[in-house]
Amino acid sequence: MEAWIGAILSGILLGLVYGLAAMGLNLIWGVINVINLSHGAFIALGMFSAYFLFHFAGLNPFIAVALVLIIGLIIGMGAYFVALHRVLDAPELSTLLSTYSLSLIIIGLGTFIFTTNPRAIDIGLGSIGVAGIYIPISKILTGLFSVLFTVILYLFLYKTWTGKAIRAVSMNKSAAEFMGVNSIFILSLSFGIGIALAMIAGCLIAAIFPFTILSGSVYELKSFVICVLGGLGSPLGALIGGLILGLLENVFALKIPVGYIPFIEFMILVIILLVKPTGLITKR
Amino acid sequence: MKDSILEIESLESGYGDVQILWDVNLSAKKSRLTTVIGSNGSGKTTLMRAIVGVLPAWKGRIIFEGQDITKLPAYKRAELGLVMIPEGRLLFPEMTVYENLEMGAYTRRARGDIKKNMEYVFSLFPRLKERLDQKAGTMSGGEQQMVAIGRGLMASPKLLIFDEPSLGLAPKLVIEVFETIEKLKKQGVSMLLVEQNVHLSLAISDYAYVMAEGKMVMQGTGKELSEKDEVRKAYLGV
Repeated sequence: MEAWIGAILSGILLGLVYGLAAMGLNLIWGVINVINLSHGAFIALGMFSAYFLFHFAGLNPFIAVALVLIIGLIIGMGAYFVALHRVLDAPELSTLLSTYSLSLIIIGLGTFIFTTNPRAIDIGLGSIGVAGIYIPISKILTGLFSVLFTVILYLFLYKTWTGKAIRAVSMNKSAAEFMGVNSIFILSLSFGIGIALAMIAGCLIAAIFPFTILSGSVYELKSFVICVLGGLGSPLGALIGGLILGLLENVFALKIPVGYIPFIEFMILVIILLVKPTGLITKR
Repeated sequence: MKDSILEIESLESGYGDVQILWDVNLSAKKSRLTTVIGSNGSGKTTLMRAIVGVLPAWKGRIIFEGQDITKLPAYKRAELGLVMIPEGRLLFPEMTVYENLEMGAYTRRARGDIKKNMEYVFSLFPRLKERLDQKAGTMSGGEQQMVAIGRGLMASPKLLIFDEPSLGLAPKLVIEVFETIEKLKKQGVSMLLVEQNVHLSLAISDYAYVMAEGKMVMQGTGKELSEKDEVRKAYLGV
């Protein structure tokens, strides 16, 4: 019984951070119409940012995450102009290749500089135990921070002028320009926010699991499954998709070998794509 | 020239290698309704796209309130008060009516006047006030056109451009749209109207241009044009 409750709690907390990572992918797809194949690389970059900020600046990931947000925004907005802006109107294959190249560059350089040795951040917060169920505090904080960033993203998109402009551009770019929205700025900002979300998720995950520069790809694939589960284009859907995936993973892990879990996740992906290609949770 | 708000001089433009607009000249006056009529494919919409800046000008100049805006991007032209109510309405379908209207006031110029402009829009279209929380994409064509016009008015426009506002609307709603335009005209809003509905457009215009094959072929007051034989034969079907 304790094992089940522990798995469910753990699944919820991890699911929240998976959802956060997926929101970045979701936003970039929704606004710019680009499938960001460099998502995983940026998640890994977030992990390494957390690692270096911890070891050289003494900042624990839950403080460093604010800096990672800013770094992600700047890198993302820069990357938009370098890798995406000129190919946006080209056929979809161009943007896929472009973001894939971005991923190869980051992972290539990362492998060269950081090697693929596993690293970990141990902030030594310990665990909380109630009635025989122990949950690491860092895991709880990861979940809470994911909720916090989801709320911030939601408030930004629905309550600020810039956020509303992002939504307007995602619905109709020309109309938004007629209203006086600088759509080039909005597109680059959206890519920046998407990348920042990926790096934040990486930073938070680094606080609970060991990682290498290649670890991002696992979470990128999870993000794709979540976007399909939750339906592309809605932050709330991404959060719910993340929760479903987190729960499935942790509960299945009680009964079947962990190695089968990616297989199950992709079975889910394929089945949903076959049965309901618009995602389980749709906007209307 | 002093009371002119928009001057187009020898404008040429098009898509890719295909030139659509040939040496187009047009002048729109303050507090007047200027109309461009012409059949489908005459280059009217291309002209509007060039005026608001989503299509670059190849040659010629566009002067708005004495300022050369030929090279300005679309969003900067909107900031100056050149506001377009686009063909096909182009609302933000997943946003509520309220949010759509609010987006109309996105520019710094208009943000301070949101309350005042919103009241004005409600006085024109009382029906919108009851639908503020409805998603714009779920409304009927006529209601969407109201939102589109309202959204344009929210921008505190100095020149309001209507691109084919009657397109795709039922006859009764077409009349409603024209009544609204006439009301705005009486209140002194400067407007540029592009229409295929020649009869109704000429009836309410102060001044009109006839466009064909990307050129201006005739101009005159609404009354003058509607009495011309060429116009009557080609566009009015009499």
